[in-house]
Parts: sequence; structure tokens; C-alpha cells
Amino acid sequence: MSPEVQMYLAQGIHGLAYGMLLFLVASGLTLIFGMMGVLNIAHASFFMISAYICVSVMQATHSYWLSLLLAPLGTALLGILVERFMLRRVQKSGLGHVAELLLTLGIAIVAGEAIKLIWGTEGLQVMAPPSLAGLVNIYGLEYPLYRLYIIGLALAVLLLLALVLFKTRLGTIVRAAVSDPGMVSALGVNTERVFMLVFGLGTWMAGVAGVAAAPILTVFPGLADQIGMEAFVVVVVGGFGSLYGALVAALFFGELNSFGIQFLPKLSPILMFAFMALVLAFKPTGLFGDRE
Amino acid sequence: MKRKLFWMAAGIAVLVVFPFVSNTVHTNLAVRLAIDALFAVSLNLLLSFTGLLSFGHALYFGVGAYSAALLLTHLEGIPVLAAALLSGVAAALVGLVLSPLLVRVRATAFAMLTLAFGQLMYVLCSKFRDVTGGEDGLMGWATPPMHVLGLFTWDLTTPMGIYFFAVGLSVLGILAMWYFTKTPMGSVMISIRDNQKRVDYLGYRVEMTKAVIFCFSGFFAGLAGAIYAIFNNLVSVGGVLDLIVSFQPLMAILVGGIGSFSGPVLGSGLLLLLEQVTQAYPEMARMISGIIFILVVMYLPGGAVWSWARLRAWWLKRVYLRKAMGGGA
Repeated sequence: MSPEVQMYLAQGIHGLAYGMLLFLVASGLTLIFGMMGVLNIAHASFFMISAYICVSVMQATHSYWLSLLLAPLGTALLGILVERFMLRRVQKSGLGHVAELLLTLGIAIVAGEAIKLIWGTEGLQVMAPPSLAGLVNIYGLEYPLYRLYIIGLALAVLLLLALVLFKTRLGTIVRAAVSDPGMVSALGVNTERVFMLVFGLGTWMAGVAGVAAAPILTVFPGLADQIGMEAFVVVVVGGFGSLYGALVAALFFGELNSFGIQFLPKLSPILMFAFMALVLAFKPTGLFGDRE
Repeated sequence: MKRKLFWMAAGIAVLVVFPFVSNTVHTNLAVRLAIDALFAVSLNLLLSFTGLLSFGHALYFGVGAYSAALLLTHLEGIPVLAAALLSGVAAALVGLVLSPLLVRVRATAFAMLTLAFGQLMYVLCSKFRDVTGGEDGLMGWATPPMHVLGLFTWDLTTPMGIYFFAVGLSVLGILAMWYFTKTPMGSVMISIRDNQKRVDYLGYRVEMTKAVIFCFSGFFAGLAGAIYAIFNNLVSVGGVLDLIVSFQPLMAILVGGIGSFSGPVLGSGLLLLLEQVTQAYPEMARMISGIIFILVVMYLPGGAVWSWARLRAWWLKRVYLRKAMGGGA
């Protein structure tokens, strides 16, 4: 394989891995939005919290796999508490979605500050487990195994999500509630409990993404702003509430990010926004969305 | 009506006398209050009267601040008032450019889009170092004195001079926005908040009206940014375009009271007071304001104005009940 093709292949896989990571974050966001109409601004904060918990668990036990199990669970528990005791309360305040947006914005700010207090402002480095640290040979291209693992992990979570959504009774209820929460509630389903579960599931997925990303990104207090912005753009472009749209947009932006840095380094930070503006100019609801 | 005029006259009298009886520190605080209040009211025009939540209002503030800085740095001899007004116009123009995208989306999508454009401007301003000075920002330009009708000359580098400049412009700006809500167009704007579809059916041009409001609100946010630039003699991306700059006026509106003109002004004052109290713990300041913000959203969703009205109603009811029972005091 010529070096040029190798470069394209490497950047392509880079983009794929990053896109899958984006999808893990964005899918939770869009799932929660689709069901509850809540755009959780603090979603990326859960991603960051999970990455930090991962750091602490790694320091304590030196086991990556244990942190992969514990950090997302802890994050999901936090998410459920937030939904149960904070979000549910402001939903009754009469300010409508404004109150939810403001509350989650407040949570994002407090979470960022709390992290600085607990873990400090220094960037922390997480090592990939030895079994995933090596390089693999893809037709002569030496590629880090860990990034391939991210793709696999994201696919596994995606598969799990698809199984839950399409094969279980809970999934049926969730899908129905996404399109018409009022009707589902009228049919006698305890939607409050379902909302709580979905919120937990969404934050759990953000948590998995946080642990997956920890070894390739530096864990620092600005992590949430960085990934959160991109996840929002993915959700906006894919269409609010559309999982399929989130997948397409996340993969597209993953590649855009990867090749953008390669070919247009100075413009790469604004490529994403430019593309979002373009999509919204023609379709205000996003590529695959049908509601605002 | 007479009572209202009396209070207005009294308020203006206090504002005029204030710098003569206070010290430099307090005069400077009053200038910051004027900037914050003007900015918060301009955002509130969107939030309370149009029902649109903007998370990226720092965009207009920042454009205004950078415009003022650039004008004063590169255009020698430009009157300072012209620079401030032109900066407002620049911010309004940005609003005009973005409005075709913004008027078509509502609610959450609107909030996210404004957030995204705000961040986009942050990235742009930190990347184009040649114009904006990047992370270091622009500073150290000479602020020319302001000539009024060729008769008076205000030195804007003195606390007194900048006080009258900032407070004067802010009061005029807030009054202009208040007057705007009373005009026929302002009524249409409020109706859009209450029922956009009905306004559409009545034959008003909803999207056009919204676009005008964006530009209007953007103008005053830009003006606030320009006053900020002239007051601080320093503009940087962290200071005028950061997410926290968008968040600050939102918090002022929430703390003071949504849906009124006095709310954001009162809220800005309360926040400034809070800042003075937490100054001793700078690393905790953001945390504390975040927690207060969450508590206000959760427990006092109408802010100080609303809570005061509730308290008053509760008290009046109590007094009335006591009288009706014929007992007690």
C-alpha cells in the first residue's frame, strides 16, 4: 500500500472512531430529547464526570475493565438522581422548556466547578490497558488497537440499545413515548418511571463514551465544552430526536473532523458550524428530524 | 401617571447626584451595573417578550465590544459616541445576517443554534489573531473625550465622565426598549410569544417581526459591549465572548424576575452584590453562582420580583384575615 493510501486509511479509521464516540454521546442526548423534550445541556458533563471517575478507579485498582463497569454506572446513578429530584421539579414550574434548559445549564456549570475542586485543573492521563495498547497491522498500516476497540465498544453499545429498543416491552414503550408521550401515559404506563430509566440509559451511554475516550483524550475540565458542543451539533444536524440521524451525522462529523484537521487545519474548528448552518438553511428540523 | 412621573424624576435625580457623593469604587460599580443591566434587558426583550431563549447573546456583546475597540484603535478622531453607536449597528448587522436561520426555528432548537453561533464567534475571534489579538485581546487604545454639541467636553477616562456616559446610554437604551414593547410592533411581538400560529393567521409577518426584534435586541447588546470596551479599555475573547458572558445576563433575568423590565436591572444589581460578597473566594465564585442559579430555577422560578409579589399577597391576606376575624391586632 502506498503511503498516501495509508494516510487516507488511517485518517478514515480515526474519523470512524471519533464519530462512534460522538454517536455514543449524541444518541443519549437525542433519546432524552425525543422522549422528554428536554435538551440536557449537562449531558456532556456526565461524559466528563465518567472520565474522571474512570481516572480515580484506575488509580485505585489499576483495572481498566473495572472502571469501564463502574464509571458509567455511577454516572447513570447521578443522572437518575438529577432527573428524579431536579428536572422533574422544574418541569412543573410553568416556565416550560426554558426552565429545563436553564436548570441543566446550571448543573453543567456546577459540575465543571465541582470537578475542578475534586480533581484539580491539571490534565490527567489515562493509560489504555496493556491488552489494548499495541498496534495492529492492517495491510501494512500500523494502527493503534485502542481506536479499533472504541469502534467495537460503540458498536456493542449500539447493538444493546437496538435490542432494548426493538426487542423488549420497555423498548416498545420508549419508542411509543418518543412519538406521543401523552398517549402512552393515557394508556396507563407510568411514564415518569420510564423517563427516569431513559434518562439513566442516556447518561449511562455518555458514561461509556467517557471511559472509552479517557485514554485517547486528555482528561481536563474543558472536556465537556469540547465534546458537548460537537454532540449538540450532531443532534441538531441529524434532527432532534432521531437516532438514525444522530448516527449519520456523528459519522459524518467524525470524518469531517479527521480530514478537516489534515487538509484545512486553520478552518477545521468552524467547518462543523458552517455545515450546520448550511443544513439548517435548507431544512430547519435537521436532516432526519420532523420536529423542533 | 403623576406618581410614575414623580418616581422617574426621583430616579433620575438619584442617578445624577450619585457620582458626586460616592467614591471611585462605587462609581465604577455603578458603571458595571449600567452595562450589565443594559445587556440583560436586551436579552430579556427576547426571552420575556418574544419567548425565545438565547444562549449566545455574548455574540452581540462581543461584536459590539470588538467593534468599539477596533474603531477606536484604527480610526483616529472618531467621536466616541459615534463609535459606540456604530458598534451597536455592527452587532445589529450580525443579527440581520443570522436572522434568516434563526427565525425559522423555535424553543430548544433556537437556544442551541444561538449557542452554536456564539461559540463559532468565539472560535473565529480567537483564531484571527491579526485582527482581534487572539487570546490576548485588544487593549491600550486612547479613548477620546466626548464633545457634547461643541459646548461641553467629557473626559471618559475619569470615573465621573465614564459614569455619565455609561449610565446615560444605558438608561436611554432601556427606555427605548421599554417604549418598543408599547408600540404596535411590540404588541405583535408579545402575541408571537403567546400564540405564534394565531399571529400568523391574522396576517402579520411573524418571521419579519422576529428578525426586526433580533436586530433591535442585538443593537442594544452591542451597545452594552461597546460601553464595556470603552470602560475597561480591554477586549478579549474570554471577557466578552465566553459562554459565561451569555450566562450572566440570563442569571440576572432569572434572579431578578422574568417578564418585567425592572427584573433584569434588579437581578444585575443582586449579582453584582453577590460578586462583591464572594470576591474573597474567587475560586468558589462560579460554583456559588451556579448553585444559586439552580436553586432559583427550582424554587423561585419567577425571581425576586415574583417572590416579592407573592410575599406581599401572603401578607395582605394575613392582615385581611385577621381583621375579618375581628381579633388580634
